[in-house]
Amino acid sequence: MTWLRRLWNAVRPRRLERDIERELQFHVAERADELRAEGVSADEAVRHARRQLGNFVVQRERLRDVNVSAWVEGLLRNVRLAIRTLLRTPAFSIGVIVTLALGIGANGAVFSAIDAILLRPLPFHDADRLVRLFEIRTASGNTNIAPVRLDDWNRLNSTFEAISGYFTDDVVDTTSDLPQRIRRAVVTPSFFDVLRIAPAHGRRFTQGEHQFGAAPVILLSERLWRSRGADPAAPGSTIRSAGLVVTIVGVMPMFPFADPDVDVWAPMPVNAPFAQSRAGGWFTAIGRLEPGVTLEQAREDLKSVQARLAAQYPDTDRDVAVRIEPLKETVVGGARRSLWLVFGAVSVLLLIACTNIAALLLSRATEREREVSVRFALGASRIAVCGQLLAEAGVLALAGAALGLPVAVAAARAIESLAPDLPRLDEVTIGARSLLYTTAAAGIVALLCGVAPAVRGARRGKNLSRSGSAHIVPRHSLQWLLVGVQVALSVTLAAAAALLLRTSDALSRVEPGFDASRVLTFHVTGRFGEDGGEYGRVVQRINGSLDALVDVPGVSAAATTTMLPGVPAGQQQEFRLLEGRADSEPRLVAESRVVSPSYFATMGIPLLSGELCARPGDAQGVTEVMVNRSFADRYFPGRSVVGLHLAANTPDRITGIVGDARELGPDREPIPTVYSCFSAPNPVPWFLVRTTGDPLAAAAAIRVRLKQLEPFRPVYDIAPLERRIADAYAQGYMRTVLLTLFAVTALALVSAGVYGTLSYAVSLRRREVALHLALGALRHAVVQRLIGDALRVVGVGCACGLLLALLFARSLSAMLYGVSPSDPATLTGVIALVVVIAATAALIPAARAAFVQPMRVLRED
Amino acid sequence: MGTQKNDILQGTLVLLILKTLQSNGRLHGYAITAHIHRVSADLLRVEEGSLYPALHRMEQQGWLRSEWGITEKNREARFYILTAKGRRELAQEEASWAKLTDGVGRVLRFV
Repeated sequence: MTWLRRLWNAVRPRRLERDIERELQFHVAERADELRAEGVSADEAVRHARRQLGNFVVQRERLRDVNVSAWVEGLLRNVRLAIRTLLRTPAFSIGVIVTLALGIGANGAVFSAIDAILLRPLPFHDADRLVRLFEIRTASGNTNIAPVRLDDWNRLNSTFEAISGYFTDDVVDTTSDLPQRIRRAVVTPSFFDVLRIAPAHGRRFTQGEHQFGAAPVILLSERLWRSRGADPAAPGSTIRSAGLVVTIVGVMPMFPFADPDVDVWAPMPVNAPFAQSRAGGWFTAIGRLEPGVTLEQAREDLKSVQARLAAQYPDTDRDVAVRIEPLKETVVGGARRSLWLVFGAVSVLLLIACTNIAALLLSRATEREREVSVRFALGASRIAVCGQLLAEAGVLALAGAALGLPVAVAAARAIESLAPDLPRLDEVTIGARSLLYTTAAAGIVALLCGVAPAVRGARRGKNLSRSGSAHIVPRHSLQWLLVGVQVALSVTLAAAAALLLRTSDALSRVEPGFDASRVLTFHVTGRFGEDGGEYGRVVQRINGSLDALVDVPGVSAAATTTMLPGVPAGQQQEFRLLEGRADSEPRLVAESRVVSPSYFATMGIPLLSGELCARPGDAQGVTEVMVNRSFADRYFPGRSVVGLHLAANTPDRITGIVGDARELGPDREPIPTVYSCFSAPNPVPWFLVRTTGDPLAAAAAIRVRLKQLEPFRPVYDIAPLERRIADAYAQGYMRTVLLTLFAVTALALVSAGVYGTLSYAVSLRRREVALHLALGALRHAVVQRLIGDALRVVGVGCACGLLLALLFARSLSAMLYGVSPSDPATLTGVIALVVVIAATAALIPAARAAFVQPMRVLRED
Repeated sequence: MGTQKNDILQGTLVLLILKTLQSNGRLHGYAITAHIHRVSADLLRVEEGSLYPALHRMEQQGWLRSEWGITEKNREARFYILTAKGRRELAQEEASWAKLTDGVGRVLRFV
């Protein structure tokens, strides 16, 4: 621990110095005593004793050096000096520190988000071995897996520890007088093994509880358990649901799950009769790979497993393929591009800020040439002078980073509220890794800001100390180079922001083909097998609700649908034409949506030809379908489709053609679509209600009406359709808002940079300008020439920025809509804006220089 | 006054200090010089200018530790004490010194 003591001695030298003094004094006293005993006079004895120690002062210094860490001491001296120097120009220092705090803070926040969302593994044991499995069928878009097939995969594979499946649905808890909807996840026996999680209280499901007909049991989620008072006696107690008494066997701890709203977990009866069909799938599957198995090996393995199943069950398994993706990828993949884009932008911004500060420090270094040259003259080494100048940048960067931490916390919160749809947001924290990153960023910032000014300052100071003259006009090309870099970077940033702004503008102008305003969306609880299991009752209930809703005051139309219009989620499948179709003609692949016949009127989608489909009888399934114009135009050009029959499962008659609607989102072109007319494709479809006023204002009346009809069915997930569409596009909104903010900041920094650098350049050329004026130069010509100097640099910067923007355009193109990444108008506009801003910033110092009194300047010095 | 010949060979100062502390226990700097001077029958004289830097360096190596105390003359002095690590170092230095003198002796005896 001696280095620690030496470090401490460097920080607190007082005590060390006192000890050395005492020890040496003692030695001198003893020696003097001895000399006196030999008969030397008292004065002479002390003098002699001191002389014997060598030079007393040098001895003291030598001892000090042994005990003090020299470089720490030097560092401390530099830091102290830097702080004193910075305090002398508080406005400059505060400006720089605030700029850096904002830059480093924003950067730290985005890094924390990237770290938590993209870099860190999912919070499961050995999470990199977790994968999601999809069943791909050419004939339908359903990627869920049939329970028996999942069982086969589990049995036949050789690369998985286990594959588990689950599905979620809603049940109603009728324990108390007030029925409460709870979300349930029904899981296969290996589910908790695959995720490696165990109940926090109570126990897991037994094998027996996974058998059909076993007494019903559930595990509560920790959230539900806490919301009900966190009763420690909960395991063992019961709730009532769907006429059954369900025993709570335990409480599951919090863990991130694809559906964060899950309230309870229930065992899947693996041998249930309803789960024995290979045709329809409803499991979401998660698997855990054996240690050391690669994704490729697993894919190959399941491919061959499925090939064996296809041979065994050709009817159902022939067209089934397996897709395997890392679980993490399926969770966070969608956020990757947005996050890296924002991180890149915020880093560019920080780089601009660093360049700006470097230019400022350069100017300061020039102002301090005399001081530096005196230090050289007194024998300071170049490294020592560099160290001192670098220490200033270091102090600024560290102060900026320290202030940046609260900024980062605030910025992380801002990101959260801008893009609530980002995955794993609750895991974003400003923790030790963020702290480490911020510190590293501060170090890099200090180097970026400090090295050029330090090296330059030291060199120039040295020259000056030799020549002894202060009248060399120093070159300031380095400052202009830095301005050029700032311009180039901000052109790049501004171009990206402008393209995103153009995109959101284009999106807002899109005619979606349906009217999303004043539409309320919600769910009403329901589940397969409700009311004794006859599906006709579900159809009857939903149709009854739709009929009743239209009579509610303030409601003009009501419909149901499987998927919300305008929200990117769809299902494509292939249809067969019953009337026959030549093999040479394109196959009928179309988006498949199931809607009630009232859907088109509710959403304002016009009927173009034919007639509206009729509502099938309560005991029937789909019998009639509608197609959109794209479907008719692409697959039946010049022919009539009305009256033809399409078959996915059952042959359904096409009764009419409706207008194209951007069902998959405003940024997706309408694709051929088949609307199957059926109000109750599942027990919990989306309800869409068109209102005459504010949709949320009608919510209360709608609730009351539905409660009259179905007192035990809670209505939930109530939100206007427009908000759901906006939420689905929240990431795009976040990108646009943040990049615009960064671009504006960057332009502000650039104007400050141009202003500062030209002011500085002009101050160096005061005498030259005054001389010109005295000799009769015109003032406006001087202004023009100075602005011209600045604009030449800006021009080169713009050209480089343009190149950079075009270079990065491709990575941006996937986020753009209605504008090409190299859109000439946008890029020209951005450059014009930058030039105007730079020219304005240059005007003030140029004018100030041109309007001096030439003779007064020339008499100075 | 000591002449050039009486000055301690570079590098042997550490050995002498370690040995002195081993045989005397707790000593202050002045007592160490006095001891070496006396025991060597005035043949060796510690150069006082290098004594304290050597002591401090040895303390940082962990061979010695120091504490403040009062001498018989009622003066405050810094006393040095050999540590376990110092004892091991002494053993090593003694061994290498023995080798050195043995080697040098053989060379000198060679005719």
